[in-house]
Amino acid sequence: MNTQAWLLLLEGAWTTLWLCGIAIGIGVVLGLVIALIRLAKVPFVEQLLVLYISLARATPLVTLVLFLFLSAPVFGINMNRNTAAIVAMTLNTAAFNAEIWRAAFLSFSRDQREAALACGMTGGVFFRRIMLPQMITTSLPGLVNEMSFLIKGSPAVAVIGIVDLTRVTNRISAVTYDPLPPILAAAVLYMLIIGVLLKLQGLAERKANRLAM
Amino acid sequence: MSEPSIAIPAVSIRKLSKSFDGVEVLRDIDLVVNKGEVVSVLGSSGSGKSTMLRCINWLEEPDRGSIHIAGQRIGINEQTRRKMTSKELATLRARTGMVFQGFNLWPHLSVIQNVMESPIYVKRMPKDQARAIAVELLEKVGLADKHEAYPFTLSGGQKQRVAIARALAMSPEVILFDEPTSALDPERVGEVLQVMKNLSSEGYTMIVVTHEMEFARAVSDQVVFLDKGRIIEKAPPLKFFSNPDTERVRKFLEITA
Amino acid sequence: MTEWTILWEARALFLDGLLATLGLFALSIICAFVLGCAWVFLLEERNRLSIVVRGWINLMRTLPFLILAYLLYYGLPELGLRMSAWTAGLLALVIYHAAYFAEILRGSRLVLPEGYIEAAKAHGFTPLRLYLRITLPQLLIKTRPLLGNQLIIALKDTAFLTIITVQELTAAANSVQSTYFIPTQAFVVVIVMYWLISICLELALKRAGRFGARRGFDHV
Repeated sequence: MNTQAWLLLLEGAWTTLWLCGIAIGIGVVLGLVIALIRLAKVPFVEQLLVLYISLARATPLVTLVLFLFLSAPVFGINMNRNTAAIVAMTLNTAAFNAEIWRAAFLSFSRDQREAALACGMTGGVFFRRIMLPQMITTSLPGLVNEMSFLIKGSPAVAVIGIVDLTRVTNRISAVTYDPLPPILAAAVLYMLIIGVLLKLQGLAERKANRLAM
Repeated sequence: MSEPSIAIPAVSIRKLSKSFDGVEVLRDIDLVVNKGEVVSVLGSSGSGKSTMLRCINWLEEPDRGSIHIAGQRIGINEQTRRKMTSKELATLRARTGMVFQGFNLWPHLSVIQNVMESPIYVKRMPKDQARAIAVELLEKVGLADKHEAYPFTLSGGQKQRVAIARALAMSPEVILFDEPTSALDPERVGEVLQVMKNLSSEGYTMIVVTHEMEFARAVSDQVVFLDKGRIIEKAPPLKFFSNPDTERVRKFLEITA
Repeated sequence: MTEWTILWEARALFLDGLLATLGLFALSIICAFVLGCAWVFLLEERNRLSIVVRGWINLMRTLPFLILAYLLYYGLPELGLRMSAWTAGLLALVIYHAAYFAEILRGSRLVLPEGYIEAAKAHGFTPLRLYLRITLPQLLIKTRPLLGNQLIIALKDTAFLTIITVQELTAAANSVQSTYFIPTQAFVVVIVMYWLISICLELALKRAGRFGARRGFDHV
C-alpha cells in the first residue's frame, strides 16, 4: 500500500473519530440527563423515555442512520450526511448510556444520603458533591465499554455514503484493485483505537472497584 | 470396625513428598491402607493432612514418591513411565470416591441426579439401573424423601449425606473424606458421623481427615498423626489415645481433650 | 393510494427481508453458540492452543463487525476464496459472535467455584464430559442475561450486511422507500419489526431464567 492509500486511510480514521467523538460527548451527557429525569418519575415523560430507550436499543444503527437521513427531507429538515450520522449515533448511544447511569443510581446506597441530610446538607449539595462524583466513577467502566461499542458500530454510517475508516477501503481498492491490504490496515487501526479504549476501561474498572459499591 | 484382609492394599503410599512454593508440605509419607480398613488422619492445621489425602486421587500432584490404588499406580503410567493423561487419571479416579469439606454438590442437578450423575456419565450405566442404586443409597443415608430437591434447599448435614451417597454410587475401592464435618453446625455433625460409622461397619475402606476425636477413637482401625508434613505416629486407636509414643501427640491430645 | 396501502402492497418485500434476517440470525447464533462453547472448552487446558484461542477472542473484541464481513466478502476473493454475500455475512456473524459468547462464558468460568470441578474429577469424569455435564450448564445458567444481551446485538448486526449487499430487512426498507418514495413509513415498519423480535427474545429469555431460579441460582 502506497503513501496515498495510507493518507486516505488516516482520513477515514479521522472521520470515524470526530463523528464518534461528538456522538459520544453528547451521548454521555444526554444519557445522564435522561437517567436523572427518569429518577423524578414524571408520569407521561417516564413512559415516553422508556419507549425511546427500548426502541433505540433494539434498532440497528444502520437502520437508524438510513431512516434519519432519508426521512428528514420529508419533514422539511435538511440534514447532511454527517449530521444524520451524528444524530443517529447520539440517539443510539444515549439510550445505552441512560441505562448505565440508571443502574449506577439505583445501586447507590441510601445510607449516604441519610448521613448527608442528617448533618444538614441540602439535596442539591449532596448530589453535586457526594453522589455525582461517585456515580461517575461507578458508571465509567460501562460508559467506556459503550464508547468502544459505538466505534465498533460506526461503520454503519457507510450506508449513507460517508467515507469512514471502513468505507475508505472500498475507495482505495477501487483504484488499486487490491482490497485485502487496505482492509487489513483498517482492521489494525480499529484495533489500536479500540485497544486504547479497552485499556482505559480496565483502568476505570480498577478505580471503580476501589470505591467498592 | 472390621477385619482388614491381607491382599493387595486399597491404598499404598510410599515416600510421598510435596512442596508448595519452596515450602515443604509433605515429607517421606509412608502409609498402607488395607481393604476394609478405616484410617483416621489427625494433626493440626497446616500439618499436610488434606494435601496428603488430595495426592491420593491426584488432585494435588506430588513431587516425589508413589501412590498405588488397589495395586495400580496413579499419576504415572507404569508401562510408559509418562505422566498419566486426563483420561487415564479419570479411569483410575472412578475407582475412588471423595467427600469434601465444602460438600461440592452440583447445584444445577437435583439430589438424586447428583448421585446418579457419575454412574451414568462415567461408568455408562443405564439410567434406570443408576436410579435404582441412587434410591437405595439415599435411603441408606436417611434422605429417601429428598430425591427431587435441589442442593440449595438442604442443610449442611443433608448436603454432606448426599455427597456420601454420591461417592458410594461408584462402588469405590476407597472413600476419601477431607474434613467432612468441619463446615457443619455442631448439631449437624452427629448425623453425618453416624452415616460414616455405619459405612465402616459395612466394610468400606475409608481414609478420614478429621478433627473429630470421638469418631477416630470409636471407628478407626488405625490412627495416623501428621506434624509438619511427616507422619510421627501410626497406631491403633486404643494405643493412640491412651498411650501414645510421641510427646507431640501427647500434647495434642491434652489440648484437644 | 395512501402511503399505508402502498406498504401493504409491498408486503412481499418486507416479508422476504424479515425471513432473511431471521434466517441469518437463527442460523448464525446457533453455530456461534456451539463454537463459543467449544472455544471455552479449549481454554480449560493451559496449553499453546488455549493461548491462541484467547488471543483470537481478544482480537474479535477489538474489531468492528463490518470489517470482518468486509474481510470475508471483499478480501478473501483476492486469495481465491469467493463466496456469496449471504455466506460471507453468515460466516462473519458466526465467527464474530462465537468470540463474544466465549468471552462471556470465560468470565463466568473464572469465578466458578473450583470445588464443583474437583468433585467431578474425583469421581472419574473425563475432561469433555466434565465440561458438558458439570461446567457448561452452570456457566449457561449464570450468564443467561449477558448471553441474552449478546443475542440482541447479533440481531442488530445482521443489518450491517445491507452494506455488503445482503437482502435482509433493512435492505428491504431501503428498497421499498426507493421504489415508492415513502421513507418514513417503510423504515418505521422495519424498526417496529426489529423491536418486536427483540421483545420476543427478551420474553423467551425470561422464561429460560426460571430454569436457574428453580435451582437456587440468584440474580438470574
